[in-house]
Order: sequence, then structure tokens, then C-alpha cells
Amino acid sequence: MTTNSEISLPGMKVSIIGASTTTFGELWDVSPRALAREVVIGAMKDAGIMPQDIGALFVGNMLSGMLGSQEHLGAFFAEELGFHGAAAFKIEGACASGSLALHNAVNAIISGQYETVAVLGVEKMTDHRPEDVATALMGAGSSQERAAGCTFPGLYAILARVHMQEYGTTREDLAAVAVKNHFHASLNPHSQFKKPITMEAVLRSHAVADPLTLLDCSPISDGAAALVLTSDKRQATRDKKPISIIASCVSTDSLGLAQRDSLTELKATKDAATRAYKIAALSVKDIDLIELHDCFTIAELLALEDLGVTKKGDAAGLLRRGAFTLGRAPHVVVNPSGGLKGCGHPIGATGVKQVVEIVEQLRGAAGARQVSGARVGLAHNVGGTGATAVVHILAR
Amino acid sequence: MISPVKLWRNQKKIAELVGKTGVVISFTVIRVPPADFTDQAPYPVALVQLDRGERITAQMVDWEEKHLVIGTPVITIVRRVMSPSTDGVIPYGIKVKPLEK
Repeated sequence: MTTNSEISLPGMKVSIIGASTTTFGELWDVSPRALAREVVIGAMKDAGIMPQDIGALFVGNMLSGMLGSQEHLGAFFAEELGFHGAAAFKIEGACASGSLALHNAVNAIISGQYETVAVLGVEKMTDHRPEDVATALMGAGSSQERAAGCTFPGLYAILARVHMQEYGTTREDLAAVAVKNHFHASLNPHSQFKKPITMEAVLRSHAVADPLTLLDCSPISDGAAALVLTSDKRQATRDKKPISIIASCVSTDSLGLAQRDSLTELKATKDAATRAYKIAALSVKDIDLIELHDCFTIAELLALEDLGVTKKGDAAGLLRRGAFTLGRAPHVVVNPSGGLKGCGHPIGATGVKQVVEIVEQLRGAAGARQVSGARVGLAHNVGGTGATAVVHILAR
Repeated sequence: MISPVKLWRNQKKIAELVGKTGVVISFTVIRVPPADFTDQAPYPVALVQLDRGERITAQMVDWEEKHLVIGTPVITIVRRVMSPSTDGVIPYGIKVKPLEK
């Protein structure tokens, strides 16, 4: 299982030279084309390159077909962005689509076929009725879960209840995740939510899927994010300090929760993280900041445990004592962007935005939410309820 | 959206799963349902450990508040899954109901 990734390690010299994200939110007056142009042009400008330098485009997106009736997004955006004749792909893996696009872009460079490539994550969700979005998102689950009338909040609620039963996790523990991430989001000019929230507000917000309330859930969002990647050979000719991708790992598990051995962990996260630490030759203690997949509050607690930041059952207590909040060094800062919860969650854009955030942090350009002295960052992106997990580790 | 061919193909699976007992190992109550389930909400969805070994995810019917606890014994039954499509196809599938009164 690990052989190929390990062999690729010595050749894994991939640099990020351009990064850009839109503000996430309810962007009714902006089209997917305009979102894509803003970030890809932004990332190319950041990288100091022209469209003709791009050898391939990798587009992370989930719902363009089901909601927008537009597929063939590789060619669609290659045309829009002026990448005439470039290879172009749509990569779909539910909420992990963005980081899967990045993983494929990394591999494309390692293969030697492309020197410089662009990664675009994009999703347009607010054009559609919420119940239609909920139905389309359930395309990421199993047919049995769809026939049960379950939703994604419902599936994570089922995981939350098991965690509460096993480890005594409380509603307040879950709410604390939302409070922290909305606080971080209030410092991020690109976030969907600009105001901090209180624990009472989370507990009092209306029930979506018991025990989860509205403020336990990431929002429905529009947005895009883009990266420009290049091989080290090309990078050698530049003067700007690059950010290196030192691990890119993907793992999968059963689509449905009913087929899992354990309901208190996402095995795919553990697998991807274990391999990523090994390839990057470092441990979780070396990580300065983590952008992790907090689609629901319970998901952040699960991820903290599955990434090895804490032992099983210990994440909530540490989080409530402020261990993962900005300005609490020497602890790792978790979701300085505000996460999916506070910054927003345009499905295909999320995995790319996480990496854009880490690039800004490692460059020391994250403004009010800067993690001081950040040298190593980890991005963790999940598809479905953990059927796909992707871990990237970046270093400066 | 509902394919009669897919429904027909899945009938075998339904027959195989009906009348099986088990216990609730986790559950939620869906209050914001997907499009074809709006007329049924709110409703519980349970993760059930069947006595014969496997686990299933299924909607709970004929329930009262007291049944919404981990450990509730249930049995699988056949019910209409969601609103029929405009061309008249009514999808049936597996749901669970509490065993004791």
C-alpha cells in the first residue's frame, strides 16, 4: 500500500509558487467562471508566470453536474483561463475534491511530464435550494444512507453520539469548536463569517440533526481557490522563497458508516496521516499549524485524535482550555483560517483553500491570524464521512 | 429521477433484509431533510447492529420519544422510502421499527 508513495519521496520536489483564494460566502452576483478567473489569475500573478507556462490544469469540484448541469470542467476552465491546448482534468472526491486535485497535480509534476501546473478548487452552491444541495451532497454517501433519508449533518450526528457515549463528550465540547473557529474566521478577510459567536449561541441555534445544531455545521458557500505548482528544476531560476510540498497522501474507507469497524475514528485519516509523517520524516509534534476538515464540530475532535495531535477522547478537553487557539504557543494552532466552519465550505474549493492558508502562514503573510514562526503546516481534507482522506504537509 | 430498473434490481436485497432483529447503536433525528423526504420530517435515522452480524443505516418508524436511546431493540420492515416520482414509481425499502411497546 505504501510502496509507491515511499519510492516517490526522493523525487518529491514540488514547490508552490502561487496561491490565491476568493472570499467565501453567498456570492449570488458572481459566476463560477468569474470565481475561477479571480483565483487562477491571482495565483499566476503571485507566481510571476503567464498562462502559456501552465502545462496542465487540475480542477477540484463535486457538484457542477448534479446542481449546475455542467460537466467537462477541465476543458471548460482551460478555455476560460486561456490555457489553450493544456491538459485539463476534473477531479471529484466529494468534499475532498480539492485536495485530490492537488494530489494529482503533485503526481503529474513528479512524473516529469509537466513542469508547471495549476490547481483550481471551485464550487457554486447558493444558486440552488438547500434541500436540493442536501440531496446532491448525499451523492457522497452510500445508497443505503440515501434510502434512509439521512443527510450529512445526520451522518456526523450519528458519529457524534457514539463519541459522546464512549468518551463523555458533551454538547458544550462540540460548541467550543465552533466558537474557536468563528473567532479565527473573524480575523480572516476571506471568511464567510466575520463575527465571533458565543457558546450559548451555538447551543441555542436550531436543531438540524440531533445532537447537532445549525452552528455545529459548516455553511453552504460559494468560492474558489487556486495554486500554481512547479518542479524544483524550474524553481531554481526564481529568487522568491518557495513553499515545498513534502508529503501528499490519500487513503480510502467504506462509503457508508455501517460498514466501518470503528465509529470513534476515521481510519482513512489515520492511514493518510501515518504515511504522510513517514514520507515527510517528521512527527505530529513538528507541525506548527493544521488546517483540518471541520465540516461539523465533531469532525474537528475526530481529526485532532486521528491525526495524532491528542489521544482518543482528549481533544475536547484541550480544545476547551484554548490549546489550539491562535496566540497560545507552543501548541499547534488548528484552523487559523476559521476552518470550514467559520471560513466557509464551497465543497471543491475547500481542500485547495486549506493549502492556500498554509502557504500564506508559512510566508508570514497571514496578517492578524499569523501563527508566529510557522515553518511546517498540515492540511487535512475529508470526503464524505471519511471514505476519502487526504493529508498534505508543507514546509518552508 | 427514480429508475424503475434500479428499483426492480434492488428488490432482491430488500427481501433478504426484511424481518431481521437488532439493536440501535447510534441515531440522529433529521430535522432538515433531503428534497424527497420533506413530508416525513422530523424522523430518526438509526445505525443498527443486526443480530445476524452486519450493520445497517435505516429510518426509524412507529417511534416514540422513549425509543430514542442507544440499545433500543428494532426489527426491519418494508415501507415506502420517499415521495413517489411524477411518473408514478413508488420506491419501497427497508426501515426499522422498535420491537417492544
